[in-house]
Amino acid sequence: MNCIELREHYELYAIGVADELERSEIRAHLNRECEVCMQGIKRAREVMALLGGTAPPAAPSAGLRRRILASVGVEQHRFGWAPFLAAALALALFAAVYFGGRERDLANELARVREQNSQQTIELTAVNQAFAILTGADTTVTTFGDGQAQPKGKVFVSRSQGVLLIAGNLQPAPSGKAYEMWIVKDGKAKAAGMFQSAPDGSAMHIQRGTVENADAVAVTLENEAGADQPTSTPLFAARIRALAQ
Amino acid sequence: MMLLPILMAVYAAEDDTSLAARMQRRDPQALAELYDRYGRVTFSLIVRVVRDAGIAEDLVQETFLRVWNRVHGFDAQKGSLGPWLLAVARNRAIDYLRTAGGRDRQLREFEEPEPARYCDMEKDILSSDNARRVKSAVEKLSSEQRQVIELAYFEGLSQAEMAERMGQPLGTVKTWVRAALKNLREELGAVVPA
Repeated sequence: MNCIELREHYELYAIGVADELERSEIRAHLNRECEVCMQGIKRAREVMALLGGTAPPAAPSAGLRRRILASVGVEQHRFGWAPFLAAALALALFAAVYFGGRERDLANELARVREQNSQQTIELTAVNQAFAILTGADTTVTTFGDGQAQPKGKVFVSRSQGVLLIAGNLQPAPSGKAYEMWIVKDGKAKAAGMFQSAPDGSAMHIQRGTVENADAVAVTLENEAGADQPTSTPLFAARIRALAQ
Repeated sequence: MMLLPILMAVYAAEDDTSLAARMQRRDPQALAELYDRYGRVTFSLIVRVVRDAGIAEDLVQETFLRVWNRVHGFDAQKGSLGPWLLAVARNRAIDYLRTAGGRDRQLREFEEPEPARYCDMEKDILSSDNARRVKSAVEKLSSEQRQVIELAYFEGLSQAEMAERMGQPLGTVKTWVRAALKNLREELGAVVPA
């Protein structure tokens, strides 16, 4: 069949209903790249392509695109949600850091207040102890270092309450050192606690407990760990036996 | 009607020529763009044929994979992918119908469309004016003519199968088919230039 005879069959061929004879002839023309038939079939296919567009509109599921791309090895990210997720994550991180920081600040502040409260409690206890010694019925007082540039102050001794030392001109102890108070009886020194002086040279130290027949109260400079016996010459000493009795 | 999506797809920022060239270089993003351009149209066509969304999605996937795997035979300098893609889609859908319905495959045209023969097709035909003309041309067909075109195009029936389905003599059906195609050709003469 020639091209003119086949012309009426191009659309039939394109839509798929051409009879076997015409279909074979058209295929033969196409296979030998017959320009007339190729052009005719092309136009017929254009009509068919347009017919495809007359189908009622329908939408595939959102996952189909990802499925197709995954089948050729493309890992698809769900960009639609990614910015929102990233923003939410960033916000969560910011909130965690912010509130975490706030929590740390509050915790630090609470610790500081607790420390301050504890310190005040200690100081109040010391004051109460000092007051108990000062007001004790059996308390005696000894002054030492009067008229000297060296340490001076008072020692309050209560047989039932303990010893209260209040000193001035007592330079802050060197690094690693601390002052240690001794209660001397019969030529033997008994350790009575470590203490430090304030930057202005003042110091207060209390040794709670009964004090029986003490001869003197002395203070030496010792290592911070303390010593069982004095290792240096006393900075000052106050005789108390005669006064206490 | 799905003509407008076709038009929008065809006149997208990047034409089919460069898209095909990128697919031939195995750029997966080009396949993604092809889907974005033609996925909805393809799905609409297939679901119209098989009338099952789940099956249609499987067939859409097969269609795009087939195009992806055979795109090397496409002439990227002349070509436009849309009509080829739709031809593959229609064939996959009708193949499914034939397999599911136990019908033998008898139509040679439903063999695999050759991409090289789908060159440069829609450039002349896909405009909004022409889309309206296609719609108008289909609407102008008689009900019998429109029915045989739909049976042939969307269900892949042969003329003998249409005659049986419609309870009409084969000769009558052939007359309707030829008349319908002639009318479409005449109505779309300006759309599909010689």
